[in-house]
Amino acid sequence: MFGLIARRILWAIPVMFIVASATFLLVRIVPGGPFDEDKSLPPEVLQNIKAKYHLDRPVHEQYFFYMDRLAHGDLGISYKYVHRTVNDILANALPVSIELGFAGLLIAICVGIPLGCLAAVRRATTVDYLCMFLTTAGISVPGFVVGALLIFVFGIWLRILPVALWESPRHVLLPALTLAAGPTAYLARLTRASVLEVMEKDWVRTARSKGLSAQATIIKHVLRNSLMPVVTVLGPLTAILITGSFIVEYMYAIPGMGRFFITAVTNRDYDLIMGTTLVFALLLIIANTLVDLAYTVLDPKVRIEG
Amino acid sequence: MNLGAEPPSIDSVQATDNISFDVIINLMAGLTQYRSDLSCSPCCAESWDIEDSGKRYVFHLRKNIAWSDGKTLTAHDFEFAWKRLLDPKVGAPYAFFLYDIVGAHEYNTGKLKDANQLGIKVLDDYTLEVRLKKPAAYFIYLTAFSPTVPQRKDVVERYGALWTEPEHIVTNGPFLLKDWQHEYKIELVANPNYFEGKPHLDRIKMFMIPEQSTAFALYQNNELDYIDNRSFPTSDVESLKGSSEYRNFPLLRNYCIGFNIEKKPFDNFKVRRAISMAIDRSVFPRILRRNEKPSDSWIPPALAGYKKSSGQGFDPPKAQALLAEAGYPQGKGFPQVTVLFPAREDAKLVMEAIQDELKRNLNIHIELVSQEWKVYRQALLRDPPPMFRDSWGADYPDAETFMNIFMEGNGNNHTRWHSKRYDQIVQAAEAELDGKKRAALYAQADAFLCREETPIVPTFLASQNLLIKPWVTGISCNPLDIQFLKDVSLNSASTQTTTLDFKSSIARLMTHKQLATSSQTLRSVR
Repeated sequence: MFGLIARRILWAIPVMFIVASATFLLVRIVPGGPFDEDKSLPPEVLQNIKAKYHLDRPVHEQYFFYMDRLAHGDLGISYKYVHRTVNDILANALPVSIELGFAGLLIAICVGIPLGCLAAVRRATTVDYLCMFLTTAGISVPGFVVGALLIFVFGIWLRILPVALWESPRHVLLPALTLAAGPTAYLARLTRASVLEVMEKDWVRTARSKGLSAQATIIKHVLRNSLMPVVTVLGPLTAILITGSFIVEYMYAIPGMGRFFITAVTNRDYDLIMGTTLVFALLLIIANTLVDLAYTVLDPKVRIEG
Repeated sequence: MNLGAEPPSIDSVQATDNISFDVIINLMAGLTQYRSDLSCSPCCAESWDIEDSGKRYVFHLRKNIAWSDGKTLTAHDFEFAWKRLLDPKVGAPYAFFLYDIVGAHEYNTGKLKDANQLGIKVLDDYTLEVRLKKPAAYFIYLTAFSPTVPQRKDVVERYGALWTEPEHIVTNGPFLLKDWQHEYKIELVANPNYFEGKPHLDRIKMFMIPEQSTAFALYQNNELDYIDNRSFPTSDVESLKGSSEYRNFPLLRNYCIGFNIEKKPFDNFKVRRAISMAIDRSVFPRILRRNEKPSDSWIPPALAGYKKSSGQGFDPPKAQALLAEAGYPQGKGFPQVTVLFPAREDAKLVMEAIQDELKRNLNIHIELVSQEWKVYRQALLRDPPPMFRDSWGADYPDAETFMNIFMEGNGNNHTRWHSKRYDQIVQAAEAELDGKKRAALYAQADAFLCREETPIVPTFLASQNLLIKPWVTGISCNPLDIQFLKDVSLNSASTQTTTLDFKSSIARLMTHKQLATSSQTLRSVR
């Protein structure tokens, strides 16, 4: 296990290097720069600003300058939010997204997996059809529609939950539900398909024929073996959820990291684009490593060398 | 209230946008301040003398103004802030606003190294002298503009980039910065020692809610006391007009169609004039529905220099005749023309309306091309297309801010048009200290620009739409679109119920589909 972790850490270095280099090049290829605004600045003023941010240097010099800073853990400075470092911006925003993301993930796991099991066990019954209707709706209805409905029903109509903002634990509920809607439906469908497949296995039939109750068979034998594909998708899903959703954060005015994935690009805030991309890549690597470790716990057949 | 987005900077020398100015102007007090009629009234300067035919300004500061840490405000604080604005190492975007000062351009471009040679001099602790290269009648307005508010040298030097954070910042305005949760909320509290008296409001929460529908829902739930264009979708304005909470007023922001006069067929002024005459500008408020004011002159009506007759007006027969004179009778032989506009829903509606007007009135077809904002801006800078959509918002309430764009060498003129005659008129207006004569000169320049040469076709003025709860009084409706909050108060006698119609709430919330075009929505606060 420790070998796996060590190997993943070593692999992460070239992966992050490639991600950083590719992102650096791509953001500079895109037309438009960070200082192309509504009102054009005089060339001499623009020159001063570019010199301040070292953007007056050749691209290869900018690249080495950035990589040097990156090697020291410095993600650079924002061109849009003057005086603020990318480290500072992400340090403020990431914890908020993590909090919201974990709340959404918790809902998705706690609702999605049992719902999928229920649908599989009650296959071709009204319960199954209802579950599948809900999951199809969850996957196909966009987040902004789900959010709008939740805001209207609970915030404006019933007035029992806050419409938006990020002030107290009550403010987490609606955005977490909005964020969880899609992943819950996805996990439910995946669990259902997986449980149905496992239920057809010979050893499940054997367990039942030996007199094990249906409930015990499902919990002890079927569920554990069905979770492999679910755990596989949980890795990237976790990375996606905890780095923030642009739609949900935008809609509920939550000061998370999700909005920067879009606004940093539209502002051509080069270092911030790099920062968000690298953080996402890093979290993805960590989440996938955890998934690999989870395999060994769930399936004794899986052994990781090292 | 809702700012709509994070202020990019509340360091006055770095700020360039209205969101930042909304915060700065409530934290800091400049030499002068705007009255409701947009004239300048004393603020930190209790009086000023204009000497040497308008080339020397001497400001006499009040002696009773304290910074939030108790120290007394002096002329040195203005001297420091202005020299910092011009320091090339600081890279201040709005440094050029002070280029009229002796040595300012040279210092900002590194040709002059010694800041002491600038025309900014402290005569004593309470007297500031500013010397200009040439008379500039609009200069006084710059002293009420956010980038020229004072700064404390010791604070800026001690805390560096972090000097604007709540734990470090030192201010002299009506409010104090209590808290700043980045990308979420700024909290101001009343400054009990403000020299004009403590403001009525004890506390102001400025949220940064980017999504209009969300802000509107919060207003409906009484969680915001007033909202503006940043906070409710265009589709709502019509249904809100009957509400007693609704206010509307035109802004000093003019939208226009620009022509690259180096590209055919717009190298011919008759074509440009024909197009200007063929557009019925009354269509814009009907399609945009934010109470826009149709405009065919470049100077807005609120400013001295505006004349109703400066523009072309709507005259299809004359437009057709002009087009025929230019060699395109009934639009025949008119080349394929590409019109560039930013990929925003409102810009698309406007351009489609213009496309329709030109087809109907001149029988010419224009091709519409939209581009993402930054790509569009770069295209205008590098190689402007034959026809494009453009706009300009006033930095200060004077016709100069609109007219100097079209002087030779100005980077905001994307038409490639310039004229010695135009430059002479505007330069004469800049130097003229007599208000009436100045206004007449600007009117002359405006007519030359919009009626004779027509490198641009002004279309409409943007307007501000406000919803104000009945218990809020004193919100200023100024066309500069800056929120001065020192005179705002809450009337506790009013009941906290809203008179708005909630019927369309669900439809409004469903407009979250606008999230897909989020970048434009974010930018629409400008």
